[in-house]
Amino acid sequence: MTNHDFDVIVVGSGITGGFAAKQLTEAGLKVLMLERGRPIEHGADYTTEMKTPWEMPFRGEGDAALYARDYPVQQLNRHFTEFTQNHFVNDAQNPYEVGEGAFTWFRSYQMGGRSLTWGRQCYRWSDYDFGANKRDGHGADWPIRYADLAPWYDKVEEFVGVSGAKEGLAQLPDGHFQPPMALNIVEQTVREKILKQWPDRCLTVGRTANLTEAKPELGRGPCQYRNICMRGCSFGAYFSTQSSTLPAATATGRLTVITNAQVEKVDYDPATRRVTGVRWIDTQTKARKSATARMVFLNAGAFNSVHLLLNSASEAMPGGLANGSGVLGTHIMDHANTLSAAAIMPGFEDHTTFGNRPTGIVIPRFRNLDKLDGDGFTRGYSFQGGALQSTWTAGAREAGIGEDYKNHLREPGAWRMVLVVFAESVPRVTNRLALSKKLDPLGVPQLEISFNHGKEELAALADAKKEAASMLTAAGGHVIFGFDRPGPGGTAIHEMGGARMGHDPASSVLNKWSQAHQIDNLFVTDGAQMSSSACQNPSLTYMALTARAADYAVTRMKAGAI
Amino acid sequence: MTPWNRREFLSAAGLLAAALGTTPGRLLAALPAGEAPTAQQSALLKEVSQLVIPRTTTAGAGEVGGGAFLSLALAHGLKGTRAPVKDAPAGWPLRADGSLRHDLWLQQDLNRRAKGDFMAQPPAQRRALLAALDAEAFPAGPPPAQPSPWRAIKTLILTGYYTSEEGGSKELRYEAVPGRWDNDIPLHKGDRAFSSDWTAVDFG
Repeated sequence: MTNHDFDVIVVGSGITGGFAAKQLTEAGLKVLMLERGRPIEHGADYTTEMKTPWEMPFRGEGDAALYARDYPVQQLNRHFTEFTQNHFVNDAQNPYEVGEGAFTWFRSYQMGGRSLTWGRQCYRWSDYDFGANKRDGHGADWPIRYADLAPWYDKVEEFVGVSGAKEGLAQLPDGHFQPPMALNIVEQTVREKILKQWPDRCLTVGRTANLTEAKPELGRGPCQYRNICMRGCSFGAYFSTQSSTLPAATATGRLTVITNAQVEKVDYDPATRRVTGVRWIDTQTKARKSATARMVFLNAGAFNSVHLLLNSASEAMPGGLANGSGVLGTHIMDHANTLSAAAIMPGFEDHTTFGNRPTGIVIPRFRNLDKLDGDGFTRGYSFQGGALQSTWTAGAREAGIGEDYKNHLREPGAWRMVLVVFAESVPRVTNRLALSKKLDPLGVPQLEISFNHGKEELAALADAKKEAASMLTAAGGHVIFGFDRPGPGGTAIHEMGGARMGHDPASSVLNKWSQAHQIDNLFVTDGAQMSSSACQNPSLTYMALTARAADYAVTRMKAGAI
Repeated sequence: MTPWNRREFLSAAGLLAAALGTTPGRLLAALPAGEAPTAQQSALLKEVSQLVIPRTTTAGAGEVGGGAFLSLALAHGLKGTRAPVKDAPAGWPLRADGSLRHDLWLQQDLNRRAKGDFMAQPPAQRRALLAALDAEAFPAGPPPAQPSPWRAIKTLILTGYYTSEEGGSKELRYEAVPGRWDNDIPLHKGDRAFSSDWTAVDFG
């Protein structure tokens, strides 16, 4: 056996890269974590965190001229502002191609990746989800079920710190929760009225990776109810690589981190049928570098991990690394996402709230559970959203000038409630990633994304619009508008798939351990491994799969099998 | 008038930001000659801002730099104001790139209504003329195919005011670190909204 620089190379420092590094270093392995973006130090580098709008050159709105030039895609993200722009990529410097259809790819290339900018919603999947492909024949059957992942959800939730309410729902299993954040009076009323009419529909507060109780052992304080998480939180109150997994991995003394390192290829030795290490480009000096390891974990983010596998084609594997099946890059998914209903909620004019709760509500899936009751669709959808009072920005839609107008805008406005749908994306072979002929500024082929929502998603969104309006109306609201057409692919920022898990090496890239069928010492544990999309926010599941894969890899390595 | 040159402008803004640290005043000073407001335009934008949000128990929008913010915001195209206008009515002052010079449009429109120099009118008349323009911009029924440019200007006046220290923390309340979540408390007449309620600001 040759000497290696490291036991494991982890490519990527986001949600799953951080978790992989933590699990592997804590198991005694020497790990190199590579991050393509710049370093960001917890607290010290959250440069806009404490700024007021009047301290910002463009008052928090940002420089639209700059955004049109350098951030044409990222600026479409509702959370992209002058306060958060430094946590998103510069599109001009990080181009990608769109083949068929449309795709807005929201990215954060930096230490911590999108763990700094994620929505923090944490939901377990159930067997309705892991059994979905087998049930209706779309995609490849998952080689795992809920029971395989449940103990790993337990461990991950315990470490992450997820606040939420137990509701006893089969389709959204309860977890190890910190105390929930409370519903406001409007949401509580809507919950009760919906339950009365539809006993199978449960509005509950979002299960979110914001602490309601401190984790002093990790140096993390409780949420301060600012709801400006994406600027970075020096209280460490939400889960990110910086607040949680990086300090844990660093504390082992076995972690090496290199930033500004854009990994270009994974090296493969056909003689041993193993990967031997990775090559990267130092984005600052343009120097090409490499390191060797006994094992490689890809955690670059779903599409970038697939990109790396495609770009690591060799004579032995001409279609891409670990692509003996030919399905690498195919069956990518997102969620079909739109605002299903917005309603005025009268009757609460003398109620308000204090503080900014960093989560909304969720109405878990109620379609196509034990009975297939979807009209034109066999998968699920769920709603997120919440009730809020409007403020001065509502003035832009109203006639009026002068004292009365100003005094009117001084007080909180009418209560409104919004329901935003996330519908399951059916895995389709035609939605796929490929290498473009165009190169990025470092000379690496760009990724080409082809993506269209299908008729099943459109049918789900039509049903969602109808049901959202019914529920808000039943709860006493006056619906003012709603949509049933999804935004382009990528809108939900839940892009996944492309290196799917499956039973059969002939039709899937990874086995049930997130391990390449063809290469024992290669693991892909980010969103690329997903065989179906469910309708829940996926990050918690990625983390649970990562922890499970890391445990398996360590066991196999210690047994001498890897 | 010097034609708009985005590259030149961005590079000037970038150099200034790097050399001096970016502030709105410096960004305004860095606008290319054709985009920089004249003294007359500055006075008009300040007056219009003040008419929309006048002094009450707190200062008005014109008094807290609303006019200058408006000039900067319009030059940089905030709230879509640098998008090319389709089927612009005759007489609208367009840039070479097809976008509307909102400040010049406003000046023209108010002078037309005043049948002369808007700024030379008595205060009550200025207020009445602007109120008429405002009312016409929000017609009943479905939104018109060509919304009045006033709507974007008004949006930016509100933005400038409620994100200023006066508007954000004196007229409204600003709580950087609430520290707790009270899910249901009484709202009394006269209680002020929080400009730091980011979700409310976002969803309006």
